[in-house]
Amino acid sequence: MIVTYNWLKEFVDFDYSPQELADRLTMAGLEVEGMTSIGEGLDSVVVARLDAVERHPDADRLTVCRVDKGDEVVQVVCGATNHKAGDLVALAQPGSLLPGDFKIKKSKIRGQVSLGMLCSEKELGLSGEADGILILDASCQVGVPVFEALQLKDTALEIGLTPNRPDCLSVVGIAREVAAMCGQSLRLPAVEISAGGADISTACRVEIDDPQGCPRYAARMVRNVKIGPSPDWMVQRLESVGMRSINNVVDVTNYVMMELGHPLHAFDFRELGEARIVVRRASEGESFIALDDSEHKLNSEDLMICDGERPVAMAGVMGGQNSEVREDTATVLLEAAYFNPVSIRRTSKRHGLHTESSHRFERGADVDMVPVALERAAALIAELAGGEIAAGQIDNYPAVLQKVNIRLSAEKAGKLLGIQIDQDRIRTLLEGIGLAVAPGKSDAPGFLDVAVPSFRPDLEREVDLIEEVARLYGYDNIPVTMPEASLESQPARVELKYEGQIRNLLVGCGFSEAINYSFVAPDAAAKLQLDADDPRLDAVRVLNPLTEDQAVMRTSLVPSMLETLARNLAYRTTDLHLFEMRPVFFTATGETASRQELHLVAAITGTRAPLSWSQPGEAVDFFDLKGVIEKLLAVLGVKDVHFSAEKTEPYLHPGKSARVGRGEVTLGVVGEVHPHVQQEFDLDQPVYVFDLNLDKLFKGSGQHKAFYIPSKFPAVERDSALLIDEAVEAVRVLDIARKNLGKFGQDAVIFDVYRGKGIPEGKKSLALRVRYESAEKTLTEEEITKAHGRLVRSLCHQLGAEIR
Amino acid sequence: MKDLLQKLEKDALAAISRAESAAVLQDVRVSFLGKKGAVTEIMKGMRDLTPEERPAIGALVNSLKEVLEKAFTERGGALQQAAVAERLASEKLDITLPGRGSFTGSKHPVTLVTEEIVELFGGLGFSVEEGPEIEQDVYNFEALNIPKDHPARDMQDTFYVSDDVVLRTHTSPVQIRSMLKQKPPLRVIAPGTVYRRDSDLTHSPMFHQIEGFLVDRNVTFGDLKGILTHFLNNYFGKGLEVRFRPSFFPFTEPSAEVDIACVICSGKGCRVCSGTGWLEILGCGMIDPEVFKSVDYDAEQLSGFAFGMGLERIAMLKYGVSDLRLFFENDLRFLQQF
Repeated sequence: MIVTYNWLKEFVDFDYSPQELADRLTMAGLEVEGMTSIGEGLDSVVVARLDAVERHPDADRLTVCRVDKGDEVVQVVCGATNHKAGDLVALAQPGSLLPGDFKIKKSKIRGQVSLGMLCSEKELGLSGEADGILILDASCQVGVPVFEALQLKDTALEIGLTPNRPDCLSVVGIAREVAAMCGQSLRLPAVEISAGGADISTACRVEIDDPQGCPRYAARMVRNVKIGPSPDWMVQRLESVGMRSINNVVDVTNYVMMELGHPLHAFDFRELGEARIVVRRASEGESFIALDDSEHKLNSEDLMICDGERPVAMAGVMGGQNSEVREDTATVLLEAAYFNPVSIRRTSKRHGLHTESSHRFERGADVDMVPVALERAAALIAELAGGEIAAGQIDNYPAVLQKVNIRLSAEKAGKLLGIQIDQDRIRTLLEGIGLAVAPGKSDAPGFLDVAVPSFRPDLEREVDLIEEVARLYGYDNIPVTMPEASLESQPARVELKYEGQIRNLLVGCGFSEAINYSFVAPDAAAKLQLDADDPRLDAVRVLNPLTEDQAVMRTSLVPSMLETLARNLAYRTTDLHLFEMRPVFFTATGETASRQELHLVAAITGTRAPLSWSQPGEAVDFFDLKGVIEKLLAVLGVKDVHFSAEKTEPYLHPGKSARVGRGEVTLGVVGEVHPHVQQEFDLDQPVYVFDLNLDKLFKGSGQHKAFYIPSKFPAVERDSALLIDEAVEAVRVLDIARKNLGKFGQDAVIFDVYRGKGIPEGKKSLALRVRYESAEKTLTEEEITKAHGRLVRSLCHQLGAEIR
Repeated sequence: MKDLLQKLEKDALAAISRAESAAVLQDVRVSFLGKKGAVTEIMKGMRDLTPEERPAIGALVNSLKEVLEKAFTERGGALQQAAVAERLASEKLDITLPGRGSFTGSKHPVTLVTEEIVELFGGLGFSVEEGPEIEQDVYNFEALNIPKDHPARDMQDTFYVSDDVVLRTHTSPVQIRSMLKQKPPLRVIAPGTVYRRDSDLTHSPMFHQIEGFLVDRNVTFGDLKGILTHFLNNYFGKGLEVRFRPSFFPFTEPSAEVDIACVICSGKGCRVCSGTGWLEILGCGMIDPEVFKSVDYDAEQLSGFAFGMGLERIAMLKYGVSDLRLFFENDLRFLQQF
């Protein structure tokens, strides 16, 4: 909503500067989002007198003028023909910046010096068209800036209104707020109607078929109007609040809407079949062409203004092409009505027509404003279009809308706001914005009875009034306190702690956290070569995505991660450690028709450490990422996890990937990205990725780690090199070793894997180190040899291993 | 015998002082004090002495041994020190070479901001709650006093999954879910991902919010001001100017927008604050009785407040990030700076 400073002054007296006014409105809940000075930068366009006008010696169509600008007489070359000596004109001096970034410079035109330009109204942005230069009224004072002389200096305030304040969708509405803040009274525009001729009721009828949708419909008729352009003041006013001038009649309806807040519509009366108006719901499938030439198929919910035969306007939204005011319109039927907000909103939404009118009606117009706005507009039309207002007024208002009365407790207001406030103060505050307040009767001492005027449809409950009290009292004046909250709190969910631990761990391991959009392209999951029945191919669809690339909710974090890697690689950032911990979404039964699952994806590519003299760029591999998972499991206390080469994922290298499982449950996968997928995502180097289902992982988290008291006696280590078949997996060696640790063995680790010289084809050598200790004594050589021998024999026996 | 011992002492001391290494010194030691060493041999000869001679000579031998032991220890210490000094002199690193590095990880700036705010409110007894991102229309709108066909729906452009299911447009449905799940009093902080159908320089279709609310007896608007002023002062700096101005949210009444003095220009007016000196930082208000009604809380007995803020906006102000899109491009060169 845009209002101007000067326009507000027509309705209320105030002393604030434009900036002060803006600040105060903002603090009253009418946030001023922008201010524009009208006529700003045009101070160097001044009123000047033409002392002499002579023909340009070298150009027939130009004149050379001697111009008195008050402090000096200068020469200006002018191309217009409508000026003569003695006229007062608008002189744009060199340095002026006219609308449209038109800079005025000192120049020479065909050999004659020109110190500026004589301006037309168009050049000054005062009107769209201009015939010659602007000739000012003789009463203007020479030397004064033109905008000042014309009293056009103004400031437009753009106010971001919240949807609960339809009353402020007008200059008068905002003036009412200004009046309340400075303790002044509001002046409404005076209206004088001089009506005559045949009474409207003899010429026209109005029937309301649907009083639910249209509780009130009033009309006036103006005969013998002459349609034409509006006067400049009207055009400028409308432009100053962001509206375009159409013609004098339509402009009046818009002007009154901006002034009083009530939308109006003017029909060309001769187009109304049977000379009557019927307000009814549309017939299913009926069609309608609106003023903006858009065609609409109506349904039985659309409230329409019809004549005897057809719809002529979409009620409260937009007029129809068939009955609009044209150049030759002679009789105007002026409509002022009140429509049901929900009905207007539905129709406006369904047809994609959001207009100044629908905006007001759907938020709640003022039903009492109907006759006021109608009279004001009729009078203005008669004034500007020279018509004659028909006697009488139609005002069809079958069931008067109930006024809202609210009982307000001063004590409750004080208690909710945390202030001490008495009835008298509340009464003064509320009366300031036009509410009728009476002390509660004897049956309700301590209460106020508040009658809410029809322009405040947002005030329905006691708490709504308490908000008004707070607003008018000033939020700034409410003291800052701390709550006396009860000392109870909920224990934090353990999963949140795990999530924090995982983030810290990954960051510690050199990973950076990514956040990608939750919505992806519909084919994102398919790029992972998933099987046709994979549930990840059945994503939750967004009905109204911004782009097709964001049409489904992702079922896997992997595609976004691969895209992120590709984008970074394109920037030649080739060493990447990234992770993302976010939910994925699946279709499901239930109230949200979906299911959310927390996943963790991490990916690495490039070198293991930053290139350095000490680390000559060794490439990452499978075991870097597997190591991260192992560390993560250790931190979370998840035990009994196994890595299996079976059934990993179609998007991973079959020989370099593992399924992470715990019992029968798959917790996730880790591996090198399949070459096809790598290519699909434009990744020009090998990438390793893991994807863990954290919801499942957290279920197995113990966190509680059983501890043992460390031995005070020295431990001893024994190494053995085992020659075994290539096919034997390391995990079997470790399993057997760990089962045969005996009384003193603590743990076994593989510290080398060797193939090549000295090792027969099809075999490999594993170096195993076992650590022995006792809690009671220093172990003897004999005890250790015995224990280790037994362990090694088990390995040889069960794996067919030989000792090297 | 006595002369012999004196000569032996002289020879031994000379040999000790001549020894230039620990190994040579050890050889010298063996040649005098070893099993077959000169001193040992003399001690073996003691048995040939008369009982009268033995004590005197014995004392002399013992004293010789003591002198030699001391000399060996001293020489040994000196040699060791010299060896260490020599090693230190020969060993020198170019300590200006960089250390053996590893990649430095980083949390996403939105995560950092979330953690900080959760921690601050955690200190005030607020506990974290979460809700689904694909949410029922009922929880996202209707229970929050935003009926279908209400203009307030225009405040948030919504992504729909079906007529009754939306991508949540704010974290406020967590209020409803928490209140349905728990009995008052409640103190909850709810960070989360939200979605709005809007994309330009200052709007992302997905972003993050943090919601907080408190429900108890006798909670006042003054308390709301108190908690938020405390938070903003702790987060952005002590003494920071904070102002509350009337606004509208369907689920709070009275409602307020909270501005802080621009952290970029300290309130003087700049591009970031559009010259106003103020930055809009969060929305808040007293929980509307309609909301209590929708979760069967007694609005006569209870009151409460709620607030919500955009985390990207906080991160942008805190770190001076000027372009919202940077948060979701995941350029490692950006991420690693946090």
